Amino acid sequence: MSLAVRLRGISKRFGAVRALESVDLDVEAGTLHALVGENGAGKTTLMRVLYGAIQPDAGSIEVEGRARRFRSSREAIEAGIGMVSQHYSILPQLTCLQNLMLGAEPGAWIAEGAAVARAEELAARMGFRFDWHADASTLSPAGAQKLEILKLLWRSARILILDEPTAMLSPADSDALFESLAQLRSEGATVILVTHRLPEVMDHAERVTVLRGGRRVASMPVADTDARGLAELIVGHTLERASAEPPGSLGEELLAVQGLVVAGYRGDDAVRGADLAVRAGEIVGIAGVDGSGQRELFQAVLGVARAKAGVVRLFGEDASKWPPSRRLEAGLRLIPEDRHEEGVIDEWPLLENAALGLQRVPPLRRGGGLDPGVQRDVAERAARAFDTKHGGLRLPMASLSGGNQQRFVAGRALQLGPRLLLAFQPARGLDIEATRRVYDAIRTLCREGGAAALVVSFDLDELLEHCDRLVAMRSGRIFEPPPERAKDRAEIGRLMVGAA
Amino acid sequence: MRLRVALVSVAALLLVVGALVLSGVPPTEALAELARGAFGSKSAWAGTLRETTPLLLAGLAVFLALRAGLFNIGVEGQLVVGAMASVAVCLAVPGAAGVVLGTLAGVAAGALWALPAGLIKAYRNGHEVITTIMLNGVANFLSTALVAGPLKDPSQQSPTTRLLDASTRIPDLYSAPPFRVNLGLVAGLVLIAATAWWLRRTVAGFELRATGANLRAAEFAGVPVRRVMLWSMVASGAIGGLAGALQALAYEGRFYAGFSPGYGFDSLGVAILAGASPFGLLPSALAFGALAKGSTSIQILGVPKGLSYVILGLLIVVFAVVRYRREGARD
Repeated sequence: MSLAVRLRGISKRFGAVRALESVDLDVEAGTLHALVGENGAGKTTLMRVLYGAIQPDAGSIEVEGRARRFRSSREAIEAGIGMVSQHYSILPQLTCLQNLMLGAEPGAWIAEGAAVARAEELAARMGFRFDWHADASTLSPAGAQKLEILKLLWRSARILILDEPTAMLSPADSDALFESLAQLRSEGATVILVTHRLPEVMDHAERVTVLRGGRRVASMPVADTDARGLAELIVGHTLERASAEPPGSLGEELLAVQGLVVAGYRGDDAVRGADLAVRAGEIVGIAGVDGSGQRELFQAVLGVARAKAGVVRLFGEDASKWPPSRRLEAGLRLIPEDRHEEGVIDEWPLLENAALGLQRVPPLRRGGGLDPGVQRDVAERAARAFDTKHGGLRLPMASLSGGNQQRFVAGRALQLGPRLLLAFQPARGLDIEATRRVYDAIRTLCREGGAAALVVSFDLDELLEHCDRLVAMRSGRIFEPPPERAKDRAEIGRLMVGAA
Repeated sequence: MRLRVALVSVAALLLVVGALVLSGVPPTEALAELARGAFGSKSAWAGTLRETTPLLLAGLAVFLALRAGLFNIGVEGQLVVGAMASVAVCLAVPGAAGVVLGTLAGVAAGALWALPAGLIKAYRNGHEVITTIMLNGVANFLSTALVAGPLKDPSQQSPTTRLLDASTRIPDLYSAPPFRVNLGLVAGLVLIAATAWWLRRTVAGFELRATGANLRAAEFAGVPVRRVMLWSMVASGAIGGLAGALQALAYEGRFYAGFSPGYGFDSLGVAILAGASPFGLLPSALAFGALAKGSTSIQILGVPKGLSYVILGLLIVVFAVVRYRREGARD
């Protein structure tokens, strides 16, 4: 077997932080190679070195047997390497075709007919379908991901690096993605998959490399290990089982949604008469495939999406007419779905991001002003809650890695007296250890603080492990299993897909 | 990488020198004259500060809207209606009372002129650049019509109002001719300091900045973004109106057709050059003011006045490169 990629002794420091220390990586051509590790283990940095986006301090790169030294991503692309980052680079204002070609146009004059023909051919190979002249803003997360992969093929990439490709995808879309990747490999392409999801690794990868603290701690065929063994290699010690003791007695009803109807952004109703109640002390998980109305339900509970019909009751009062600010003041907290767009302001320092969403909550708000002392305190506690690695509270949010941003956002949601936490994929981009800590903190908040949490995730296992009871969402409605089967995998799965 | 900044700076300098050589003037002499015209004497300083005053306030108007994510190109029109309204009131009400009422009228007129653009932006998602440019046109024609009609001084040939008498003017705070500092300039400085404090320390200021930095994140953080857009546009217009009122009541003493030589447009450059802090407006308005003052004296040497615009344009290009580098370096 020939090697598509051979990295030797790659080292990289950022200031005082050693991101990578003499890392080796061998990827056989035509295989799917998984790269796993905790947040900050150096996975993305290593891939960015291979992609030419970062220059290593030491080490050598060989691609398809030739020694390479990439000074920029452009040179890596020319050598046949392509990378899809965690944050999609699709520009919503452009059409799908324009996005596909962006930066790799066939010439100064674009023959649209020929471009569409080639795009169609690439899409057909992968079994994708696109309306090439539609705006990219109409794409679902899965559609955007597919377009990203086609972008790599458009650039004739033979080695594809995918950083957390399934983080935003439903299980069905993830399966479809791996089918496409299998198709690509059968045509000779090599795939490097950076992921936190160990079942994906076990099901689809041939080999796996584990990074921890910037060092390679293991590399082996997937057949030689199992998910539990991998998890222990990743965190470096034996894992405790999550303590999901059932809640004691439940308190008052903190959220009640009755007959809620919310329009989706395409005009049709995304939530169609949903009913749900959440009581103090419990963590309720909403299972369902992406696009079942979870997003719009959350936005209506927060108040940023207007309900066409129905009632939202918060903390015992009819809150249907409350603006979001009043709901936040009353103790609603949010871990938003799209951290980048909805949760943080990239160019603002952490200190200011800490106040975002809490700016009207006393004691941070004092009269018409923000109390600087409280603000600093909130920022420090938000960062400390899940050990956000940062270089100082005055540095911009953009200086943090994705996982660390997520830790910060989760930590912020616990500040200043939360009573009801809305968490949309709270573990997005987090490693096993951090995921467990976030859920543990939510559980403590609910059990001891008299709060409640409503969690959406597309990962059924994550919900089953951490929530007290599950409901399923399908086609804009909520389906509750009988109480004794509230954590029954088969029952929830049945409700999710609507099988009788 | 610093090389690129240096190259752009040198290229900019060469362009200025080239332009001077083309106009047949020794570059060093022209640039020295430019500096002398702006800062070379007490009266030069007084003139520079006078030119700086409207730019400072109009720059603050653009700056505030920019922080809220709005590009208020309408400051020119807001300044013109503000100036006209203030003079109209002062013609009717002389004395100190007139000055106070006139200033307030200027503020109100500017705010009113921005209101439609704010409403259309916030509730109909109409782009503020388009609406404010259109409102500039309306302000221009309306003020010309009024000053050629009901507001016109009958004893004058050209469309202008009567000159306000000295008691109906904003006084100098310090006057030792040829040097003087008008109260209007001090008002501008105080307003800038107040705005800086307000943006940094108040919930409303925080929410305004959040709206400008990431509209969707602001919405999810409970910021009433539509209301913020509306009111920051109105506030921007009010400051623009104030700039016009001060210019009329402090320096010009009357309103006439073609009152503003483009203060509102220059202030776009002032605000962009200022960067992220309101205090950045001080050096950038001073630079614009000095070039405006200095360029009148190099006209005597036969250098076209437009050269100052060439220099300003290049200044903005160099600044953009420097800032681009800084933001790029973060990535």
